[in-house]
Amino acid sequence: MINLGFTVVLLLLSVNSYATDKWLFSEKTAVTRKPQAGVFLHLDGSNRKHIAVSQNIVLVVWEDDHSSDPQVYLSYKERSADHFSKQVLVSSGTEAYEPAVANLSNDGFVVTWEQDAAVYARLFINKALITPPIKLSKAVAGHATVITLENKVYIAWREQIGREWFLKVAFLKVSEDQQLRVIQQKSVEIEGIKSALLYPALAVSELGLTVTWEDRRAGHTRLMFSYSSDQAQSFSEPQYLNEFYSNRNEFDKGNGVTRVSIAAFAEDELIAAWMDKRRGENGYGIFSALGADWGPAFGPNERVHSQFGDNLPHYNPATAGNKKGDFVVVWDDYRHGNSDIWMSSYDDDSEWTEDYTPAIASGEREQSHPAISLDEQGNLHMIWMDRFDLNSPAQIWYSSGKLILK
Amino acid sequence: MRMIIKNSGRGILSALFLFILPAQLLFAAPPDGYNFLPLGKAIQKATAEHKPLFLYFGRYGCSTCRKMHKEVFTDTTIQSTYSNDFVLAYVDTESGNRIRLPSGERTTEMQFAAKNRILGTPTFIYFSNDQKPVFKRAGFQTIEKMNKYSDFVTQGHFKSTSLKEYLAQE
Repeated sequence: MINLGFTVVLLLLSVNSYATDKWLFSEKTAVTRKPQAGVFLHLDGSNRKHIAVSQNIVLVVWEDDHSSDPQVYLSYKERSADHFSKQVLVSSGTEAYEPAVANLSNDGFVVTWEQDAAVYARLFINKALITPPIKLSKAVAGHATVITLENKVYIAWREQIGREWFLKVAFLKVSEDQQLRVIQQKSVEIEGIKSALLYPALAVSELGLTVTWEDRRAGHTRLMFSYSSDQAQSFSEPQYLNEFYSNRNEFDKGNGVTRVSIAAFAEDELIAAWMDKRRGENGYGIFSALGADWGPAFGPNERVHSQFGDNLPHYNPATAGNKKGDFVVVWDDYRHGNSDIWMSSYDDDSEWTEDYTPAIASGEREQSHPAISLDEQGNLHMIWMDRFDLNSPAQIWYSSGKLILK
Repeated sequence: MRMIIKNSGRGILSALFLFILPAQLLFAAPPDGYNFLPLGKAIQKATAEHKPLFLYFGRYGCSTCRKMHKEVFTDTTIQSTYSNDFVLAYVDTESGNRIRLPSGERTTEMQFAAKNRILGTPTFIYFSNDQKPVFKRAGFQTIEKMNKYSDFVTQGHFKSTSLKEYLAQE
């Protein structure tokens, strides 16, 4: 009888769930409509904040062009529901791109995005967009991202005024009448920079706010970070996040680094991960650094992905953490021929685990562009793009990974 | 067990006939003295003039690119040949600049480079004058090789022989 029960459990698991070493993933749920020829969707925003999970709701944001021009959409579901809502148009301009979302404490959400070369935000509460978009930027702007701490909202973006570049961070609150109010807006550095500042990422805890970004002032791309302990009224002097890893000859300014993602975990720690070309001809690897105490430094850079698959490029890293102390990094690479979703986190010895790919997000098709959220129970909520091949239209899928191994 | 690592040239065909969306700053730098265009404009010009396209994937701060700029692209023969016989296009493999693919998809230069599995920079893709990809080369290329590559395309040798055989004949 025991054996029969065990067999039944195994059978159920094999039918309905997909285990990795750490999470047991549910059947995938379609977020967007079936792929349609000529319609293209993207998950490609700063810090890859395309999914947020509140106490009861999972919400996903993306961009697609099914209405002819690219626009930003959202879809949501009750956490226990087996399907997502119809898509909801979020943007209101001619063209919109690269949305990001974060959850509030009341099952509400804040969405930010680029629209007609400006940055906008709006609230989604009680399963409805309850406010019109508010424009945050004053000049040409993009690369928007958002993070929340209960009902405190921080939105960062890059802005160009003439030939000068600024990283802007706005601090907003949700008022009692459920309006999104801008409390203040600051530049990380008061003086504009003559070279590009790109793709900011934000992480927040009770101790402060950290912003990271791509920075080209050194003559090559470096990753920098700054932090604020006064709700984005002021920021520390920018410091380097990635280690300088070149200088091989007179022409060498440094290896490429790009698309940094950052997340807070535990009470006062940070995980940052990015694409890093220090391995040369193998393309981008996924490298990381951990920060603690919201202080002035991160630890040494660490390679996230394991040796298997080290000889090829990796793309689209995303990070997530929770207050319990869990964190994870996901990305995509094509070590098996087609692109699959891969992930890694620390083991008990604080070493990166062997890479693992959930069966639900791997296989003969092209699975790429993951975005994730970790809830306070350590369950992993993940979306990704699925295509028949690289030139086919895509669909976004969702699966939740139930934590099975701490 | 699935096949291990496919041809890194995959997806090149989708590079044809691109159109740039509203222009943003060109972040990375192609060599001085050349009229490198954003990809969309270059494709339009190459199609209109029935000229082959020379597509250069670079990266801001790329050391091998800088070395080629100083030691190869300064050569007067190279400058004359490539400026006169090709339409020149430049893509920054880390850029968020948006382009439109022939399928109608709008994407960024970085995602376009990733989709075409451009591993390193510089990577050069040569197209025929009817805008079909002929071959791809990555890494440092000498003046001699760059001259042979251009002859292979502009003199039509690619129609009757492979690049490998052509270089061996030379």
